[in-house]
Amino acid sequence: MAELHKIIASVKDALGVGARSNSHDAAASAPVPVAQSAHRAALASTFARELEAVGGKFLGILTPDEVTNRIVTLAGEIGAKTVALGQGAVSDMDAIGEALERADFRIVRTIPVADTERAAMRERVANADIGIADADFAIASTGTVAVVSNGDRPSSLTLLPPASLVIVQIDRVMANLAAVLAELGPEGVAANRLTLITGPSRTADIEKRIVLGVHGPKSIHVIVVWPRDD
Amino acid sequence: MAEIPKARDFFESSRAAVSDHELRRKLESASARHLDHFAEVKAEFPAYDDERDAAHRIKTGAIAHLDELLIELKSKLEARGCKVFFAEDAAEARGYIVELAKGRGAKNVVKGKSMTTEEIELNGALERAGIDAVETDLGEYIVQLRGERPSHIITPAIHLSKEDIGQLFTDKFGIEYTAEPEKLTAEARSRLRTIFLNADFGVTGVNFAIAETGTLVIVENEGNGRLSSTMPETFVAVMGIEKVIPRLEDLSHFLEILARTATGQKLTTYTSFITGPRREGDLDGPREMHVVILDNGRSAMIADPVIREALNCIRCGACLNVCPIYRRIGGHAYRSVYPGPIGSIISPNLFGSAAGYLPFASTLCGACKDICPVKIDIPRILLHLRWKESAGEHRLKWPRAIERARRGARRFAKMARHPRTVRALGKLAAMVLKPFAHNGYLRRIPGPFGNWTKYRDFPRPRPHQRPAPGPERPPG
Repeated sequence: MAELHKIIASVKDALGVGARSNSHDAAASAPVPVAQSAHRAALASTFARELEAVGGKFLGILTPDEVTNRIVTLAGEIGAKTVALGQGAVSDMDAIGEALERADFRIVRTIPVADTERAAMRERVANADIGIADADFAIASTGTVAVVSNGDRPSSLTLLPPASLVIVQIDRVMANLAAVLAELGPEGVAANRLTLITGPSRTADIEKRIVLGVHGPKSIHVIVVWPRDD
Repeated sequence: MAEIPKARDFFESSRAAVSDHELRRKLESASARHLDHFAEVKAEFPAYDDERDAAHRIKTGAIAHLDELLIELKSKLEARGCKVFFAEDAAEARGYIVELAKGRGAKNVVKGKSMTTEEIELNGALERAGIDAVETDLGEYIVQLRGERPSHIITPAIHLSKEDIGQLFTDKFGIEYTAEPEKLTAEARSRLRTIFLNADFGVTGVNFAIAETGTLVIVENEGNGRLSSTMPETFVAVMGIEKVIPRLEDLSHFLEILARTATGQKLTTYTSFITGPRREGDLDGPREMHVVILDNGRSAMIADPVIREALNCIRCGACLNVCPIYRRIGGHAYRSVYPGPIGSIISPNLFGSAAGYLPFASTLCGACKDICPVKIDIPRILLHLRWKESAGEHRLKWPRAIERARRGARRFAKMARHPRTVRALGKLAAMVLKPFAHNGYLRRIPGPFGNWTKYRDFPRPRPHQRPAPGPERPPG
C-alpha cells in the first residue's frame, strides 16, 4: 500500500506535477529541486505506512482540486449526515463546505464563539459524524499529525466526532518528532494548544485488548496535499 | 488521610495474592503481551539506547538544577495566565484543590488519569466536601466503580478479567451482561461523554513541564486527558516537582522512549501541549488554569545522592511488568499507590518509614534496571534503602518468622568468618547427609531444612569440593 503512494508521488514528481508550489509562503513558490521533491515523497510514504500501522486511514497524496471531491466521497463512505469543519490554515474550507452542502450534507462551521454560545457549539460539533481540520505538521516516523488549535480550528474538531479527517501539506511532513518541535520552536508551541495525534483514540485497559474509539474518534483519515502550480 | 501501609498487611496480602492463580494468569498474560510489543518497537528503533542516554542525562541535570527550573517554570506559567500553587505535602495540595472546587461551585468534576492525584488521595477529599469526582480513563473508571485503587500505574485494571468487568457493568448500570471489550468500552464512552459535556471542573496529571515555555505536556491514548483539560471552565493540573524539564528541545528524547517502554507504541495517540488557559474566542480550553506543584517528600529524596536518581522516573510502568515479585503478587498487595520496583523506592520516601518493608520485596534480579527507559539503577537504590532501614532509628518491626531468619543470617555471617569452623561443619554435614544421598543428589533433607528439597534436589555436599583456600584473613 505504502509503496503505491511512493510510486504515485514519484510519478507526479517526474511529470512535473507539484514540482512547484503556489501555497502559503514565498519560499515555497520558488521551483523545488527534484531531489527535494523525491525526499518529500519518501517522507509522505513513510508517514502513510506508519499511519496505517496505528490504525489510521491514508487517503493519498492529492492535488488541491482532488481534495474536495475526496472529502465528499469519504463523507458518503462513512455514512455521515453532518460534517463539522473549521477555517483552513491552508485548505480552502469554504469550498469544501460548499461542495459538501451541494452533496446534501449538513455543515457545522466552527467560528470564534462568545461564552454564551460555547456549550451549544460544542454540542453541534459533538453531534457531527466527522470533523475536518488542517494539521500544521505531520511526523513520518510515527504516523502522527500535529494540530495547533485556535478559535477557527478548535481542538473539538479532532476530538468529539466519531470520525476525524486531517489535511496536511506535503512540505509539512517532517522526518521525526524532534524536527517538528524544532520547526515550531518554543513560541510556536506556546502560541496555543498543540496536539499530536497518532491514530484513533484507543485503550488496552481490558485484558490488554486494543479497542478503538474510547473518548476520541474511532477512525482518523489523513490527506496529504501536493500543491499544484495552476 | 493517606493510608499508611504496614509490613504485616503486606505479608498477608502478598501471601494471599501468590496463591490466587487467576490473578497470576492475568498478570502473566498482560506482562508477556507488553514485553512482546516492547521488543518489537525497540528492535525497529536503533536510536533507542541513545535516546535513553539523552533522557537520563537531561533528567539528572534537571534534578540537579531543580530550584532554578521551578522558579523559571512558575514565572513562565504565570506569564501565560496560570495560577501556580506549590504544595509542601499531600494535605496542602488536597486542601487547595478542594477549596478551589468549592469556591467555583463545582458540581461535575472529571479526572484524567493521574498517579499524583492518587498519591494525594484527592477523590476522597472531594467526596468528603460533597463533590463527586469521576475518573475518566477507562481502567481508572473501572476500578473507581469497584471502589478499588489502580493495581498498575499504566493499566489500572490489570487485575480484572473482561468477565469481571462485564459483571461490574451489569451490576452498576443494569445493562445486559457482555464480556466483549468493544461493547464495554462503548458503554463507558457514552456514559462518560455526557459527563464530559457537562463537566465544570477538570483535574489531570502532568507528564512533562517545560520550564522554557511554561508548557505542560500530557500523554495518553484515550482522549480523556484532552477532554478533562478542554471541556471544563476550571482546569487543575497536578504535578510532582520532578516533572520539570529545561527546554522544548529536551522533550523529544523522552517522548521517543516513554510510549515504547510503557505500552509498546512509538508515540501515544494523544500528546497535548497546554500553555495557559484558552485564548479569546477559542471554543475549547478552560477559562482558568491552575497548576499544583507537589513536593510531598520529593525534595528530601534529592538530599540523598543515591535515592535522588529515582526522581528521574517518568512513570512508564515497565519495571512492574518485568519484576518477578510484581508478576506474582500484583499491585494491590504492595498496599501503596505506587507498586512494583520503583514504587518500593518512592513509597517509603513519600509515605515514611511505615512503608520501609517495601525495599525488601525484591530479588534484586536487575530486570527493572535493564528495562528502565531513563536508566535508573533500581537494585542499587533498593539496597541503599535496605541499609538505611536496618541502620535507622525507626527500625522495622518484622513479623517473627522474618526476624528469626534475620537473626539466623547474622549468626551465619559471624560463623562464616571462620574458615576452619566452616570446613569442620561442612565435613560434618557431608557425613550426616551421606546416607540420604542418591546419585549425588539429596531428594529430601530431614528436619528443619526440609523446605530446601521440597521442590528441587539438592547436590550432596562433599568435603573435597571446597574451593581452593585463599590467603587466610584475620576474622572480623
